[in-house]
Amino acid sequence: MAEKFDHLEEHLEKFVENIRQLGIIVSDFQPSSQAGLNQKLCLCVCLSPRNFIVTGLQDIDKCRQQLHDITVPLEVFEYIDQGRNPQLYTKECLERALAKNEQVKGKIDTMKKFKSLLIQELSKVFPEDMAKYRSIRGEDHPPS
Amino acid sequence: MENFTALFGAQADPPPPPTALGFGPGKPPPPPPPPAGGGPGTAPPPTAATAPPGADKSGAGCGPFYLMRELPELTGSTNLITHYNLEQAYNKFCGKKVKEKLSNFLPDLPGMIDLPGSHDNSSLRSLIEKPPILSSSFNPITGTMLAGFRLHTGPLPEQCRLMHIQPPKKKNKHKHKQSRTQDPVPPETPSDSDHKKKKKKKEEDPERKRKKKEKKKKKNRHSPDHPGMGSSQASSSSSLR
Repeated sequence: MAEKFDHLEEHLEKFVENIRQLGIIVSDFQPSSQAGLNQKLCLCVCLSPRNFIVTGLQDIDKCRQQLHDITVPLEVFEYIDQGRNPQLYTKECLERALAKNEQVKGKIDTMKKFKSLLIQELSKVFPEDMAKYRSIRGEDHPPS
Repeated sequence: MENFTALFGAQADPPPPPTALGFGPGKPPPPPPPPAGGGPGTAPPPTAATAPPGADKSGAGCGPFYLMRELPELTGSTNLITHYNLEQAYNKFCGKKVKEKLSNFLPDLPGMIDLPGSHDNSSLRSLIEKPPILSSSFNPITGTMLAGFRLHTGPLPEQCRLMHIQPPKKKNKHKHKQSRTQDPVPPETPSDSDHKKKKKKKEEDPERKRKKKEKKKKKNRHSPDHPGMGSSQASSSSSLR
């Protein structure tokens, strides 16, 4: 699974580097730079494929098929759009999950105490029925 | 007992016998007569043998306790992070301090990526909400299309000068950012500019760096671990004696 991410990352890095070089060429354009610009943009026999913008986009598009099952939460995009580290989203998710886990555990522990008290009191009033309940529960789950 | 039955048997229908609620001898109750007006309890009460609709299948074998269900194996009482083997991820993200900026996550990406996407209309959100209209495939640019890419000579205006910023290659330990020759300097307040300029001058002055190096060399010469000093120290110690 990591391989398909590595491929995509590699293609993206090459593409970004090509774009950056294009930006350098364009930032202070000279007449002699036109040939280099054309080589970066279009197909050329003498240069290697890694300098092509169009082929770079094609390579990135090919990676899409391998990643069709990957889902990204939209909330991560908000972090990126704000210029924040997306790992902060993972961190906050884990912290929220742990906090909710602790909260639910507290509720379960309280309900368990209530259950034991309720069984205790019901056993005084309905001994036979509670004996049946305990026998049924005892088969499925150990008494808490 | 009467109060208990009142809680579960308070309906327009005549109250069913206590055996129907499962709190008596194990005898199946007779079905009550259907009411003339069609009250809420039109369906016959569920018997112990048949499971009521919507109840869990496991409740069918639980005797008179119709609402009894199997407790799930995984509940909130267990530590779900350890259950799903996320301890390493938790220690990695929550144990250490995660840096705030996007440039710390993508250090090799050129450009001012720490700025919000709404500033230069480069947000991912806008890309999702309004996807650009594209063709199905990427076609190579032909010779005639290249005519559109003939540019005029000269530098770009300062507003567009962002892409030629070099990505930071060295990790700076200093808190203050070292100014880059090509970076556009953000607008500063007059009160802070002098202080920052002084600090920048202190850090970037090459003469200061040379002086630091010379001091380090002198310290190393005078240290006892330095190999060159062994003989000189021995000679000095012998002379003192």
